[in-house]
Amino acid sequence: MNVLMPQAVLAAGVLGALGLGLLRRPPASAVRALVLAAPLTALWLMRGVEPAILAPLIGADVKGLCWQLVIVAGALPLAFMSSGDDVEAALFLGSVLGMSLLAVSGNLLMLFVGLEFMSLPAYLLVARAGQGDGARRLEAALKYFFAGALAGAVFLLGLALYYAETRRLGPALLPLGAQGQAGVALMTAAALFKIGAVPLHWWLPDVYEASAPEVAGFLSTSMKAAAVLFLMRVVSLAPVQASAAVLPWLGALTALVGAFLALRQERLQRLLAYSSLAHAGLLVLGVGAWRALGFDPAAASSLLFYLGAYALLSNGAFAFIRASGVETRAGLRGYAAREPGLAAAFAVLLFALGGMPPTGGFVAKLLIFWQALRVPYAVAAALAGVSALVSLGYYLGLVRDMYFDAPSGAAPRCGCAAARLTVLVCAIGALMLGAAPFLLAGLTGRAWR
Amino acid sequence: MSLLTVLWVLPLAGAAACLFAGRFGRLHARAAALAASAAFFGVSLAVLRPFWAGSGVGVYAVGGSPWAFGISYSLAADGLSAALIVLTSFLNLVCVAASWELEVSGAYWANFLALSSALTGVFLARDLFLFYVFWEATLIPMFFIIGLWGSDNRRHAAMKFFLFTFAGSVFMLLALIALVVAKHSQTGFWTWSLEGLKGAPVGAAGPWIFLGLLLGFGVKIPVVPLHTWLPDAHTEAPAAGSVMLAGVMLKMGLYGLIRVALPLFPRFAQTWAPWMAGVAALGAVYGALCAMAQTDLKRLVAYSSIAHLGFCLLGVVSGAAQGVVGGSLQMINHGITTGALFLMVGFLYERAHKRGLSDFGGLAERAPSLAFFFGFSILASIGLPGLNGFVGEFMCLSGIAHSPISYLSLPVFVVAGVVGVTLAAAYALPAYQAVFWAPEGAGSVSDHVTDLTLREKGILWVLCALMLWIGLAPASWVALLAPSLRGLAP
Repeated sequence: MNVLMPQAVLAAGVLGALGLGLLRRPPASAVRALVLAAPLTALWLMRGVEPAILAPLIGADVKGLCWQLVIVAGALPLAFMSSGDDVEAALFLGSVLGMSLLAVSGNLLMLFVGLEFMSLPAYLLVARAGQGDGARRLEAALKYFFAGALAGAVFLLGLALYYAETRRLGPALLPLGAQGQAGVALMTAAALFKIGAVPLHWWLPDVYEASAPEVAGFLSTSMKAAAVLFLMRVVSLAPVQASAAVLPWLGALTALVGAFLALRQERLQRLLAYSSLAHAGLLVLGVGAWRALGFDPAAASSLLFYLGAYALLSNGAFAFIRASGVETRAGLRGYAAREPGLAAAFAVLLFALGGMPPTGGFVAKLLIFWQALRVPYAVAAALAGVSALVSLGYYLGLVRDMYFDAPSGAAPRCGCAAARLTVLVCAIGALMLGAAPFLLAGLTGRAWR
Repeated sequence: MSLLTVLWVLPLAGAAACLFAGRFGRLHARAAALAASAAFFGVSLAVLRPFWAGSGVGVYAVGGSPWAFGISYSLAADGLSAALIVLTSFLNLVCVAASWELEVSGAYWANFLALSSALTGVFLARDLFLFYVFWEATLIPMFFIIGLWGSDNRRHAAMKFFLFTFAGSVFMLLALIALVVAKHSQTGFWTWSLEGLKGAPVGAAGPWIFLGLLLGFGVKIPVVPLHTWLPDAHTEAPAAGSVMLAGVMLKMGLYGLIRVALPLFPRFAQTWAPWMAGVAALGAVYGALCAMAQTDLKRLVAYSSIAHLGFCLLGVVSGAAQGVVGGSLQMINHGITTGALFLMVGFLYERAHKRGLSDFGGLAERAPSLAFFFGFSILASIGLPGLNGFVGEFMCLSGIAHSPISYLSLPVFVVAGVVGVTLAAAYALPAYQAVFWAPEGAGSVSDHVTDLTLREKGILWVLCALMLWIGLAPASWVALLAPSLRGLAP
């Protein structure tokens, strides 16, 4: 089957959503069905896709296809919770299409096309989706746009420098000179920008906080997975890269900064934004380890597992904000007495985000630590361990607020059945990933035999 | 399903049953908890039987081919594991019996049973991945037990307990991974099995790995200066929670030392022994001094635990057979004795809602049976000959005096131990006197205290009988533990 079938389905979804928008009053239910059907069909089609190269633009290796799977699957919660707005649907599907193009890109130009294709709709999605303070969302979207545009420009500059020396849009054949090294460094910086690694993270909390919760979930999972793959493509351009040595340190630093800043947040969505920064730090550390281990498939599969688990955890946690209508930590006090089921599911997600066994979050964290210690990046791993401890301070604090405090004030109610179901499914998934990481032996464990 | 799998799955299933039964009312949940706990105790006795009195030297084991990542589902029980599992199931049953009249939901019982399940898993696991998973899993139910059913400062204490332990265990996890990686560099395949990891070529990273393990276990024991979580957690937890905390959870640290750290690094076990013994002796004296300064009865018992665990550690690192066995036996003694003391403080608190030493007085007249059991347990705790504490402490001190490791047989450790024993009498007896025999003070709440009910007396009779039994006839207990500890005392 053609490698690009999933992309074709997603593109058809975009066109369909735009087409529905031509109607005088677009039927919300049809839009909802479309926005869910397109990624599901794409996922279903991915079963039969084999690694293939359609030179020069498309090169779908095993890594790219696995990533594409996680990216599209991570987008499902947003699709499921869609409001039925036709423009949002088109933007969302367009962004997913861009990510999956990025995943199967065969050279650096196509990578750039994928990058822009996934980012541009996302800026608009942040500005448009959700209710409430429109000015705030617009400000966040602008910030996001400028940050993204800067990242794109930096990438292009790096690409130009790299191309000028090597005359190639793929991996270099010869050791890089100073100009090529500078080019790769710039491209790496662009990728770190998209991931939100410290010190290029300043846009991220504002964007996540102002977006609708489910959009923030999408940005923190699918978008992050795509950005990690982007980083991996860049750091594998040449065997010797001066700039790659900073990755473990930046990763550990990002994990620490995210964890410490999240401690003091009062608004849940901002807290989760900083916590996603802490997780991004571990991912950057993992990419550094993957590079240092000679692009070891086991390390790549560890990153994939982390992203897959995080797709469940982060989407579930953001969906909880949508499902409960609780926006601040104070509003969470005594929540377990009001909504025992939803609170229990959220508690499972929080323990998993904190990396407690027996959940998928623990296995994910273990795998990244493992890769880091194989290199061995002992100090960076120890710093990441400190970050895990600090981050438990707020995850556990949320559980404490929910369970150990008496409820105060009236409960905000929200009838979002889809969001509630998402939280529940994500929590069950988190437990299953932890209780049976070994079911995935076929996917992630093959490289370990 | 193998018996060992049943052993940890059974209480977990019991926890689920309690949650489910809780939907039909408190009494159903309570009955489910009792049934599950009794069944768990029964099965644990079945596991203990072959090792009793040293008749079985081998181990029960469930092995298995490795899953992904070199992890295997491998469980085993020997005398030490079996003894600690029986201690777990026994104290769990005691907790259920002691909480019988509490008006609590099904979640209360479910947390206790889930805790027992995880603790059992820790004592059974022979694969370090499994060990770590069970180790961490114990934190979650105890977090809820302290936070939901504890006293005034429970929110803070629950967080402190969790974060302190996690701080230790995150470095333990890194150390375990580093060990697995080191072994992989030698053999070329991944394993997490305890047996398979012996002799890993750790090189220069060795001290760091050992230190990581010590940190994880040391917080749990707890050794001074990593002990500051303990007084808060033990004081704020509900009575039954304190029993499980002091009775079993503190033993996890020493068990980890005996089962994982010392056998994997026999060389460090020798060279670091004086330092570890120094920390242990410090704990034995410092814990006792802190206990002397307490005005809250429950906090006093909590600090006495630090002192007792210091004794256990002193025995375990001594490298002499009687010390290692004595340290292990003292773990069980401490579980029984301190469990009884925490229960009785809990009974007092239920009646008077006070715990201060100065809040009581003259209780011996109002509650004579409570005075009897309290006095009996105090005497066991301070090591009166004929009761269990004496046996354990004597063996620990004798072990350190006859230690084959250089520096360890220096008199300073024995002297510190003897000082600790003396101080134990100096904090425990005045407290006992103040609460039970001194005349009632002005603000005394002694008139709220009624004597023990039949149920409470029954529980304490069993506990005190065990103290007397181990005190008078420790031979069969020593024979139970000794075969599993041979590797530590060459």
